[in-house]
Amino acid sequence: MMDRRSFVKKVLNGSIAGSLYLVWPMGGDSLETPEEIPGIKGKEYDILTQEFAFIVDVTRCIGCGSCCVADKREYNVPDGNYRTWVERYVKGFSDNIYVDSPHGGLDGYQHPRTDIDEEIRDTFFVPKLCNMCKEAPCVQVCPVGATFISPDGFVLVDEKRCVGCAYCIQACPYSVRFLNPITKTAEKCTWCYHRVRKGLLPACVEVCPTGARKFGSMKDETSEVYKILKGPGVLTVLKKEMGTFPALYYKGARREVI
Amino acid sequence: MNLSYRLRLLIVVLSIVVLAGGGLLFKQLLLPDSFGVYGPYRADAIAEAALVPIRHGTNNSCFKCHPYEAKSHKKGRHQTISCEFCHGTYADHIADGKKIGTLPVRKEKEITTLCLRCHNTEIKARHEEVIKTVAMPDHLKDQHVKITHNCNQCHYVHAPLKYIIRAKQITGLMEAGS
Repeated sequence: MMDRRSFVKKVLNGSIAGSLYLVWPMGGDSLETPEEIPGIKGKEYDILTQEFAFIVDVTRCIGCGSCCVADKREYNVPDGNYRTWVERYVKGFSDNIYVDSPHGGLDGYQHPRTDIDEEIRDTFFVPKLCNMCKEAPCVQVCPVGATFISPDGFVLVDEKRCVGCAYCIQACPYSVRFLNPITKTAEKCTWCYHRVRKGLLPACVEVCPTGARKFGSMKDETSEVYKILKGPGVLTVLKKEMGTFPALYYKGARREVI
Repeated sequence: MNLSYRLRLLIVVLSIVVLAGGGLLFKQLLLPDSFGVYGPYRADAIAEAALVPIRHGTNNSCFKCHPYEAKSHKKGRHQTISCEFCHGTYADHIADGKKIGTLPVRKEKEITTLCLRCHNTEIKARHEEVIKTVAMPDHLKDQHVKITHNCNQCHYVHAPLKYIIRAKQITGLMEAGS
């Protein structure tokens, strides 16, 4: 049994602690998150020894568009431009291919296509993003050295140096680049370089509910992408004949996609 | 003009020095700092790209302050879904460890639209092993509920089968603990 005095004391203590809890800031570090890419957070990032790979599993993509929404929010991408998008492939029985991507998949795919006359054999979704080519055509054509491949394998755009000539936009075989209507400079998917440097997964990988998008270090033998890439499964890259050597691999991509 | 051989040689050497030196100086002035450290680009641009502010946290950053939602979200079938997809980004909610804005909570028809983004059978690209899909309004008819019902009237959005399993256990359709 608790006497009245100690009961009142405990209640008072509780209310003081409670009110303190309400006004106390929740720690100085606002992004105290667990390490998602091991070996990066809290350590010196050695730009010369890192290597990453991205795998898109087409068979697991359900076309929800979470990745597109996350991408738009992470960078405040202007309307009508997409750093990443999801395409819907519809295959008819006469082997006709119908590809569409309304709003880049931002609103998801709520309804089936109604404008196709023939019977549909198959439907599948293909997420698209920067391929991070090792021999990048966009880098080769840049006249001012604003686009480059960083030593850790990311193709990035130097906003301060870009003159907005759009040559790289023409050169990219995967159409992942666009001219930002506000800054008038070339912009593209960076595999969320700022997140990777802090040990976080890219935003699209973070939100993907089915694990269709996978990202990880190729220097870490325990990472999922390392195991898949070194494993027996068949992986393909887009437009292999272009000789761009992408670091983005597709799992389960069909002939029509490649 | 009758310049001596030495003078002419001096003029040639001097002009080479002036032109080459001037060119080099001009190049130095035009090239930005840190150009060429790793290659023909500004090395500082890499560091600048790494400084872009992070807007998405992770589910764990949300769970820290929302333990009730965390408890059911982590257990349910929706555990792989990002909080921020439905509710908006972490950066709109928290800055420097303090709350700066309220994130939206989806209501009524908005919820049904969100659910059908993934769970619509009509889009024939969703494999059974990846996601369970339903056809609307057939599903509502099959379950003998009103056709105007929203998904969240039966399914708790954070753990969609929580109440379904509970109801089945109460009515004896499913054994408790299973």
